[in-house]
Amino acid sequence: MHITSSYLLSITTFFYLGAAAIYLIYWIFRLDKVGILATVTTIAGFCIETAGILLRWKESYELGYGHAPLSNLYESLIFFSWVTILVYLVLEFKTKNKVIGAFATPFACLAMAYASFSPNVQDSIQPLIPALQSNWLLAHVITCFLGYASFAVACGFGIMYLIRGNSKGDGLLGALPSRRVLDELMHQTIIFGFLWLTVGIITGAVWANQAWGTYWSWDPKETWSLITWFIYATALHARFVRGWAGKKIAYLSIIGFISVVFTYFGVNFLLSGLHSYGSS
Amino acid sequence: MKSKKANSQSNIILNFFSSVKLAITLFILLAITSIIGTVLPQGETLQFYLENFGPTWFKIIKSLQLYDTYHSWWYLSLLGLFSINLIVCTIRRLPYTIRLYNKDSLQLSKDDLLRRPLKKQWKVKNDDNTAVPKIISIFSSIRGKLRTKHDVDGGELRLIEKGRWNYWGVYMIHVSILVIFSGAVFGSFSGFKGRIMLLEGETTNQAMKMAPNGNIKKIPLPFSIKCNKFRVEFYPNGAPKLFQSDLTIIKNGKEVKKKSIVVNDPLTYEGITFYQSSYQSLPSVKVKIISPDGKQRLLQISAFDKAIWPETGMVIGLIKYIPNVHGSPAARIYIGDPSGNGDALWLLKNHWKEYRIGDKVFRLDMVEGGEKYMTGLQVKKDPGVWIVWLGCTLLILGFGVVFWVGHERYWLWIGRNNNGLQVILAGQTNKNRVSFEKHFRKIEQEIQDSLGET
Repeated sequence: MHITSSYLLSITTFFYLGAAAIYLIYWIFRLDKVGILATVTTIAGFCIETAGILLRWKESYELGYGHAPLSNLYESLIFFSWVTILVYLVLEFKTKNKVIGAFATPFACLAMAYASFSPNVQDSIQPLIPALQSNWLLAHVITCFLGYASFAVACGFGIMYLIRGNSKGDGLLGALPSRRVLDELMHQTIIFGFLWLTVGIITGAVWANQAWGTYWSWDPKETWSLITWFIYATALHARFVRGWAGKKIAYLSIIGFISVVFTYFGVNFLLSGLHSYGSS
Repeated sequence: MKSKKANSQSNIILNFFSSVKLAITLFILLAITSIIGTVLPQGETLQFYLENFGPTWFKIIKSLQLYDTYHSWWYLSLLGLFSINLIVCTIRRLPYTIRLYNKDSLQLSKDDLLRRPLKKQWKVKNDDNTAVPKIISIFSSIRGKLRTKHDVDGGELRLIEKGRWNYWGVYMIHVSILVIFSGAVFGSFSGFKGRIMLLEGETTNQAMKMAPNGNIKKIPLPFSIKCNKFRVEFYPNGAPKLFQSDLTIIKNGKEVKKKSIVVNDPLTYEGITFYQSSYQSLPSVKVKIISPDGKQRLLQISAFDKAIWPETGMVIGLIKYIPNVHGSPAARIYIGDPSGNGDALWLLKNHWKEYRIGDKVFRLDMVEGGEKYMTGLQVKKDPGVWIVWLGCTLLILGFGVVFWVGHERYWLWIGRNNNGLQVILAGQTNKNRVSFEKHFRKIEQEIQDSLGET
């Protein structure tokens, strides 16, 4: 049979769904073999998704359009899940803690499922309209999504922090990393995401200046990215205020990700503006 | 007494403006108020808000300038307060940071080393003088600047340090935001923004700017710009593929620059940049007129425009253009004489028609009819943009420093007494503790191994 990128990408959805379920089982039973299976499933899904993205890129050349698969909502959702898994795998490798997977892979799985099954998302390869014909497209989208994906993972840490409480022992919650470790991981991930969000906003400004002659025009998407920026700026500075560390930062990391999701979807569907091509 | 009181008062004010709490309050306020302009339509006429939101909301919208939220007095005040907060914070933290930066990490005692977060101590009873050079060579393999101090609690203290300038990363970030703000303010006062609508073949030396009250303001340019041709192309699915204007800059009657611009590739001349932003297609016809005394003239007329034949004083305007009437284009034109009398008449392509003014007979024919493009250009001069880019570069570099550079210190103390050799290894960092600790443990293991051999 002829393998298409859409086929590979729909398979990926099931791999990530499987991975999320296996990580959950690992969290409950903590069997090493289950943990390895979860990681293997995630890596397999990641490889298939990578192949799917590359194939889609090739397909766009065959159609005569020839552009990186980062130009519409479908492609950005795929890329979002790809970066989320990448950030997660790096963290799993660095922290050696697989329970985090139960909180990170669902984000990638949801993004893939939404991209593949929602009637609002067109998965056909579209040619680039004049506004998108720029080398800044790649830099802008990649940096923004590195930020978004890091914030998804940081949101996972925030949820873990809140449900963990102060429980000790071998229970479900005791298996989560300690609050101190979660706080440190959350902080590092937020700084990383904040760095990329900032670079994403700047590359967007440079591009807008080249295309329209204004680096900042208070278009809803720009404004919402700034709102997101303010929320994470709050989270980063909250550490320096007595009594604000920990729980409040965990809440901020969740609120921040809600703002990311709104910047990403809400603006496309509910508000109109210069970024409207991201909505189809 | 009095001056002391005044002093404490000014301290209260300083503390207020430099507090992290104020910064956080401003972040939250800015985040919440920024939502308004994304939900409420911006830049509409006051009439629009009155009709759509009713008199009560209209009053609020008008007094808080919510029709232009991001340039309203209160929003700009928040941004101003934010800048003051940044400046005061930066200045107040400066002495502390300088102290931190200048602190000599060699001024430590043996006991201080044992209080570091990472440390290891060895005591070797019978060493044969080969251990020390080995340990020193292992320690020296750590990347960074090596310094040595003799006679520290009867031993030798070595320090390897790197990334001390990490303390300045946060400053780079804070200062860069102020740089970006100043670039934006400078640009808004010293530059301009406008629009130009230019028919193919037309030349202009001014841009238009729509003022908030709906009036159109003319901005003169120090040169002329001509649109030679405009092109638009579509993909088979109907989506636009290309908008392109061929432009020429004319200064003092000479062509000084030529460029075809597309959406992401503008033209800049003398600091003024022209961006492809929109287009319109307009009907346009070419009319040939022969006057009663046999003089001929070819006039190009476009919609909303009129052409004048100066020698006779005739004025011709285009009222309507129909591409196909019984297989041939037709145009309804206005024709008038200098005294202001005029008439409307239909012309068919390649059909002569007579028009009388008194006893004079003019003969007219439409020799060409079709669509003509009008390109829409965004015109901008912003000398502040380079300051903004400078700030952005500084911002990214600052993040790089904050995220990736840590102030890493390794200490090695070696001393001898009656009981033999004593070695202390200690380490400290303010970033990426996990990977630092890993490296520390590796060095520790290497020293351990070298001691094991002896």
